[in-house]
Amino acid sequence: MKRYTDMEYLRLSKGRKFLYKIAAFFCAIPRGLKNFFLGIVRAVVNFFQSIGREFADIFTTFVKGDWKTKLSYLVMGFGNIARGQILRGLLFLLFEAVFIVYMIVAGAKWMSMLPSLGKVGPHEVYNAVLDQYTTEYGDNSFKILLYGVLTIFFIIAFIYTWRVNIRQNKISEQIIKSGKPLKSGGDDLRSLVDDNFHRTLLALPMTGILIFTVMPIIFMILVAFTNYSGINDGYANNLFTWVGLDNFNTLLAWEGAGNVYSATFGEILSWTLIWAFFATFTNYFLGMFVAMMINKKGIRLKKLWRTILVLTIAIPQFISLLYVSKMFDKNGIVNGLLSDLGVIRQNIDFWGSTAHSALLPRVMVIVINIWIGIPYLMLIATGILMNIPADLYESAKIDGASGWKQFSKITLPYMLFITGPYLLTSFTGNMNNFNVIYLLTGGKPINAAASSAAGSAGYTDLLITWLFKITTGEGAKYYMASVIGILVFIVVAIISLVVYNLLPSIKNEEDFQ
Amino acid sequence: MNYYAIVNNTLEFIKENALIVGIIAAFCVVAITVGMWKVFQKAGKHPWMAVIPFARDYTLTEIGSTGLIGVLAYVILPILGIINLNGIRYFYDLNKGASKPIYAILFVLGTIFLAIALFFHVLSSIKLSNAFEKGTGFLIGLILLPPVFLLILGLDQSKYVRSVSTSLGLKASRAISNTLIHIVLVIMAIIWLVPFVCIVLQSFRTETKPDGTMITWIVPDVFPKKWGLDNYINLFKSDFVDWYLNTFIIAAVVALLQTFIVLCMSYTLSRFRFKLRKGLMQFMLILGMFPGMLTMIILYRVLKDLGLTEAHAVPGLILVYVASSGMGYYISKGFFDTIPKTLDEAARVDGATRAQVLFKIILPLAKPIVIYTVLTAFMAPWGDFVFARYIAFGDSSGMNAAVGLWKWLTQDMINLRYTMFCAGGVLVAIPVAVLFMCLQKYYVEGVTGGAVKG
Amino acid sequence: MKLKKIAALLLAVLMVFALVACDGSTNETTKKPEGGNTPATTQGNQGGSELAGTYEIKVWCAEKMVDLTTNQIKAFNEKNTDGIVIKATVQNVSEGEAATQMITDVDAGGDLYCFADDQFARLVQAGALSKLGTQASEFVTTNNDAGAVKAATINGEIYAYPMTADNTYFMYYDKTVITDPTSMDKIIADCEAADKQLCFDVGNGWYLASYFFGAGCSSDWSTDKDGHWVVNDTFNSDEGLIAMKGMNKLMSSPKFDSKSNAAEFDNGAAVVVSGTWDSSTAKSILGDKMGVAALPKYTVDGKDYELGSFMGYKLVGVKPQSDAVKAAVLHKLAQFLTDKDAQIERFNTANWGPSNLEAMKSDAVQNDPVLAAVAAQAQRAVVQNVPDGWWNLAAALSAKAKETGDEAALKEALKTYNDGVELLKNLKPGLLFVGAWNGWNNAVVEDTYILTGDGDVLSLTLEVPESDYMGGRIVNNGKWESDKGQAQVTTGKELIKDLSPEENGDNNIVFVEPGTYKITINTTNNEITLEKVG
Repeated sequence: MKRYTDMEYLRLSKGRKFLYKIAAFFCAIPRGLKNFFLGIVRAVVNFFQSIGREFADIFTTFVKGDWKTKLSYLVMGFGNIARGQILRGLLFLLFEAVFIVYMIVAGAKWMSMLPSLGKVGPHEVYNAVLDQYTTEYGDNSFKILLYGVLTIFFIIAFIYTWRVNIRQNKISEQIIKSGKPLKSGGDDLRSLVDDNFHRTLLALPMTGILIFTVMPIIFMILVAFTNYSGINDGYANNLFTWVGLDNFNTLLAWEGAGNVYSATFGEILSWTLIWAFFATFTNYFLGMFVAMMINKKGIRLKKLWRTILVLTIAIPQFISLLYVSKMFDKNGIVNGLLSDLGVIRQNIDFWGSTAHSALLPRVMVIVINIWIGIPYLMLIATGILMNIPADLYESAKIDGASGWKQFSKITLPYMLFITGPYLLTSFTGNMNNFNVIYLLTGGKPINAAASSAAGSAGYTDLLITWLFKITTGEGAKYYMASVIGILVFIVVAIISLVVYNLLPSIKNEEDFQ
Repeated sequence: MNYYAIVNNTLEFIKENALIVGIIAAFCVVAITVGMWKVFQKAGKHPWMAVIPFARDYTLTEIGSTGLIGVLAYVILPILGIINLNGIRYFYDLNKGASKPIYAILFVLGTIFLAIALFFHVLSSIKLSNAFEKGTGFLIGLILLPPVFLLILGLDQSKYVRSVSTSLGLKASRAISNTLIHIVLVIMAIIWLVPFVCIVLQSFRTETKPDGTMITWIVPDVFPKKWGLDNYINLFKSDFVDWYLNTFIIAAVVALLQTFIVLCMSYTLSRFRFKLRKGLMQFMLILGMFPGMLTMIILYRVLKDLGLTEAHAVPGLILVYVASSGMGYYISKGFFDTIPKTLDEAARVDGATRAQVLFKIILPLAKPIVIYTVLTAFMAPWGDFVFARYIAFGDSSGMNAAVGLWKWLTQDMINLRYTMFCAGGVLVAIPVAVLFMCLQKYYVEGVTGGAVKG
Repeated sequence: MKLKKIAALLLAVLMVFALVACDGSTNETTKKPEGGNTPATTQGNQGGSELAGTYEIKVWCAEKMVDLTTNQIKAFNEKNTDGIVIKATVQNVSEGEAATQMITDVDAGGDLYCFADDQFARLVQAGALSKLGTQASEFVTTNNDAGAVKAATINGEIYAYPMTADNTYFMYYDKTVITDPTSMDKIIADCEAADKQLCFDVGNGWYLASYFFGAGCSSDWSTDKDGHWVVNDTFNSDEGLIAMKGMNKLMSSPKFDSKSNAAEFDNGAAVVVSGTWDSSTAKSILGDKMGVAALPKYTVDGKDYELGSFMGYKLVGVKPQSDAVKAAVLHKLAQFLTDKDAQIERFNTANWGPSNLEAMKSDAVQNDPVLAAVAAQAQRAVVQNVPDGWWNLAAALSAKAKETGDEAALKEALKTYNDGVELLKNLKPGLLFVGAWNGWNNAVVEDTYILTGDGDVLSLTLEVPESDYMGGRIVNNGKWESDKGQAQVTTGKELIKDLSPEENGDNNIVFVEPGTYKITINTTNNEITLEKVG
C-alpha cells in the first residue's frame, strides 16, 4: 500500500486520512508479528550461543588455570580461600556441602520418583477384630512433584554457582597476575551498601517472588500435564501421574467426549474478549468524560463530586457488588420500585436468561462495571487533564474550534498517548477481572450445554471464573484449570505483545496532528 | 401512579374530546407553518420549505446553526420518543401485562429521547430568539408555546440579524452548560450513592416478623419499618470482633511490609542500571499475565505444611500477600523516575554511599508515593475473600472479615443474618473509606504520576 | 554475581528446610500395601478396653447445632462403657461448606462432619468418607427410614449415618380459602374464585420434578466406584407428557405465581408450596388459618396423579482414618450422635425432622402438623440423586410448559431434555479397553472399545489383529491405572502371555494369538475374565 509523506498526508481529505490510518494499522500487524517472531528466534539463538561460549570458557579455564583453580572444580571455594578471600570461599564451600548432603538424603529419591509420580496409592484395609475399614496411605504424588521440581531448581542453582565459582577463579588469577589486590570480605560487605546496593535491596523481594509466585506457577504449568484433581489428589484418594498432552487434547478437541470443553471454551473466550473490550473502553471514555465535566471552570464543589464518586473504590467490592446484585434480584429493590411505579407488572429477572439469549445479564454486568470503574479512571484522567497545557485550548478556541473539535484533536490524542500502556494493562486486567463477575452473577445464568463436568460454566463467566469453578466444582479438576490458565496466559501475552509493538507506530501518527 | 393508566387516560380523553382537540391541533399546524414561512422569508431562506416537514425543521435549525445534529435531535428524537411510549403500551397489551425487559428499556429510552428533544428545543429556541434579537420574555414564550410565538415572530416587525455568534453570549451559554453539568453530576452522585445508602439503611433494620424471626433476605422495599442498633450490638457479641481485628492486623502489617518491599523494588529498578534490569522487568510483566487463581492450590499446600492454615491463617495470609508484593512496582517506579537523577549524582559526588542516598535524600521526597503504597496495601486485604476462604476454614479465629461475612450468608441462616451482614459491611467500609478520604490527595498524585510516566 | 549467590544460598536454606520436612514423609511409604486379613475372632463387636483412652477430634456441624453437639459429646463421654474420653473441638461449618472443604483437602477436614445428601456421591469419590463396618451398617439399616438409608448408600455399601429426613416440600394453605386440599384442580378453582395466588415455583427443577414423579417417571443418577454414571431417567415418555400437560394447566392459571415463599401469604396468597424452613413464617402470618398437607393430586385427561417430591437428608460422615482404634471410636460416637435419642433432641431444639424410624413415630413428631405432612409426603418422596447439570435441563422443561400446552411442542421439549441427559451421561464413558493396535488411544471415544453392561459386570467383544505386540488393558477414560491389567485376570490366563513385571511394567494383557475375545470385568473387585470366541 502506498505510503504517504508528511506533506501528502496533510493534503488528504478527512475520509482519506481515516482510511489511511486504518490501512496503516492493519499493515503494521504483520510487521509487528514478524518482529515478534524474529525477536524470539534471535533470543533463542543468542541463548544457545552463550551456552556454547560458557562451555568453551569452562574448558579453557581448566586447561589454563593453576592448581588452585583446578582444585576448585571439585571443591568449590577452595580457590577463593587459597587466595585469601575467606568469606567468599566459605560461602561456596557451605553451599556445596549443603547440596551434597541434600542430594544424598532426599534429593535423589525425589528425582527418581518424579517420572512416575508415585507407585503405591492408598488402600482400604479391613480390620476384622474391630470391624473397621481403615485406609493405608502410600506415596504422595503431590509432594513428589513439588520436591522433585524444587530439587531440579536446586540442581540448576548449584550448577550456576559452580560456574560462578570457576569464573571467579579465572578472574582472580588474572587480577593477581596484573598485580592488583583482590577484594577482601570486608570490601564485599561494604559494596553491599554501595555499588551492589541494588542487590541488597532486591534480595528480599526477589526471594519472595521466587518462592511464592514463580514456583507455584511452574508447578501449576506442570500440573497441566498430569491428571491431578480432587479425585486423583495424589494422596488420600488416588495417585496422579503424567498424562502428557491429553488434557490439551480434551480441551481443544472438536469431537468426542471432549467436545463439551472446547465448545464452552470458545464461547467463554469470546465473551471474555468482548467483556474486556467493553469494560475497558466504556470506563475509559466515560471516566474521561466525567473528569472533564468536573474539571470544567465554573463547576463548584469539585472535591465533593470526586469524593462521592470515589466512595466506590473505598468500599470493599465484595460488599457493594453483592448488595447490588441483590438489588437487581427478581424480588429485589429495583423490581419493587418498578412495579410500584406501575411500569412493570411482573418482575424482571435481570440475572436470568431468556430462551433466546443471555443478553440482559451481560449488559447488566457491563453497566454495573461502569459504576465501579469510572471513579478510578476519573482520578487518572483528572490528573492528566490538569497537566495538559492550557494554551493549547486557548489557541484552538481562537481558531474557532468548537467543543467537540477541541476534544477530538487535543484532549483525546494526548490522553491516548499517555495512557496507552495503561489501557493495555487495564484490558488484560479486565480479562482476569474475577471479583465483578463472580460477585454479581456467579457466572450465571448457567449454560445448559456446559455440564457440570465442564465446570457448569455460565453465560457471564470469564475464563478466570470458569477456572475457579472447575477448581472448586465437580471433581475439582485442577489439571483442567491449569490448562485453561496456561491458555489465558497465552492469549493475554499475545495481545499484550502485539499491541505493545503497535503502540509506537500509532504514536507516530498522532504526532502529525 | 400507574404509568399505563396515565397513557390510557390521556388517549381516552383525546378520544372523547376529539373535536376540540382536533381544532387546536389544526390551529397549531397552521400557526407553525405560517410562522415558519414568514421567518424563513425574513431570514432569506426559501419560504416554501416551511411546508415540507423535515426540510422546514432543518432550515429552522440552520438559522439557529445547530446543523444536522439539530435535525436529529429536534425532529427525529421526539418522533422516536413518542413511538417508544406507544410501543410500551402496545407491548404491554400484547403480553397481557407480562413484563419483558424490553418494556422497561423502551420506557427509559423514551424518556431519555424526550428529554434530549426538549433540551434541543430549548436550545434552538434560544438561538432563534437571539437571531431575531428578541428578549427573554419572548424566549420563554417561544419555548412554551411554539406555535403562537412562531406566528408572532413571523408576522411582526423584527428583523433577522445574523449576529457574529449565533450562539448565546459566552456567559449565558456557560451558565447553561454549567447548570446542565451540575444536574448531571447530582444525578450521578445519587446513582453512585444509592447502594451505599441502602446498605446503611439495611443495617439499621430491626423489624421482625410476628414470630420473632427476621424478614427475608431479599426485600422489595428499602426503608426499614423499625429502626435500631440491634444489628451492631449483635455484631459485637459475635465472632465479628475477632474477624475485624484479624483483618486489621493483616492490613496493618501488610501495609508496612509491602511498602518496604515495593519501595525496594521500584527504587532499584528506577535508579540502578544493571545487566539484568530490562530482563527482570519483562520477566515480571510476563509473570503478571498468569491468572492468580492458579497458585491458590499450591500456596495452600505450602502453608499447610508450614502449619499456617485454619486457626493460624493470619500469619499465613500475611506471608503470602507480602511475599509476592514486589510485583506491584510499576506505579512506584514511575514516580521515582520523575525525581531527577541529578540529585543522586550530587549526593554521590559529596561522597555518600548509595544507601545513604536512598535514606537521606530520596525518601523524604517520595512521601506521596509512599503514602499511596501504604494506602493501597492497607486497602487490599479487607476485600480478599477468595484466597482467604481457601486458607481459613473451620476454625473461626483465623478468618478475616470478608470470609466471616460470607460465611454468614449460608442458606439456613441467611434470613437471620443479612442485616448483620450489612452492618458488618458498613463497619468494614469505614476505616478504609476514612483513610482514603484523608489521603485522597496522595492517591491521586501517586496514580497520575506513576501511570502517566510509566 | 553476589545476587545469584545470595539467591542460591536462600534456595539452599529452603532445601534444608524441605529436607527436614520431607524426612517425616518418607515414613509413610513403609507401610505394607496388603489388605490385612487377620482371622475374624469376634466378628463385629469391639472389646471394651481396647478402645479406652482420650482422643482429640475435630467435629464440624452447622451453627445451630454447635452447642447441642458439644453437649451430646459430653453425654457420650459420661455414658459410654469403653472408657473412651473424647476431647472435641466443635467448629461451626455449614453443611455445604463442610462438603466442599472435605473434597478440597480431606486431611485437614473434621473427623466427624455433617453434610447434605446431595454431596454424598462426590464425597465418596473424593475419598472423604470412611466405609461403615458390618455392625455399623446394620445399625443404620435397621434404625432409619428406607429413603435415608438409600441416601447414605452407594454400590450397596454404606458410607454415612443419616441424621435428618425433612428436606422436602409440601403444601401450606389458608384453611378459609381452600376447601379441598387433595385436588389441584379444586385448589386452582378456589384460588381463582377468591382472587388469591397459588405459589408453586415449578420453574425450579426441584419443584417441577413433583409432577414427573407423580406421573411415574424417575430420574435417578448414581455413580459407581469408578466414576461412571448409572442413569435411570424416564422423563422423555408418555408419562412425561402427562406431567408437562399438568404443569401447563397449572401455569396457565392467572393466579399462578412462582414465588415459593411463605412470606407470600402476606401478599395475597392462599397456597404456598414450600418446606419446613418456612413453617414459622407460615404459622406467624396465618395463625389458626394455617393448614398443612402433603401435595395434592393433579388431573390430566381424566386421570389423577399424586404429586411426588424430592427429599433431602442430612448425614454424618467420618473422615477416613489409618488407625483402626480411632476409627472404631469415631464410628461409635457417630452412632451415638445419630441414634433415636439424639435425633429427638434435635427435633425438640431445632425442629429438624428425624430419620430414625422410632423417632418418626414418637408422639412429639406426630403431633407437629408440619412434620406430619413431611411424613405423609415422605411416602411419595424420592431421594435427590441428580447431577449439577440436571437442574437447567429441568428448568427448560418448565419454561416450555409455561409457554404452551401444545402436545407437539411439549414432546419436542422432552426430547431436547433427553438429548441433554444423554450428553450429561456420556461425559463419563466408563471403562474402555485400549490396546497397542489402536494406538493406545483412549482420548477419542470413537476409536476405543467401550465395555458395556448392566450393573457391576461390564463386557466387550473385541477383535485382536495380528501384530508384534498384542497387548492392552482396561482403563477409565483419561486415566492410566495399573490395576486393571494382567494381574487382575482370573479366568483365561492361558490366553495371555505370563510376563514378569520387569518385562511388563504397565501390567498389560498381552494376547498370545490374534482372534476375537470376550473380555468381562467385574467392577466391584476388578476381576477380569477372558474368553476366546473366534
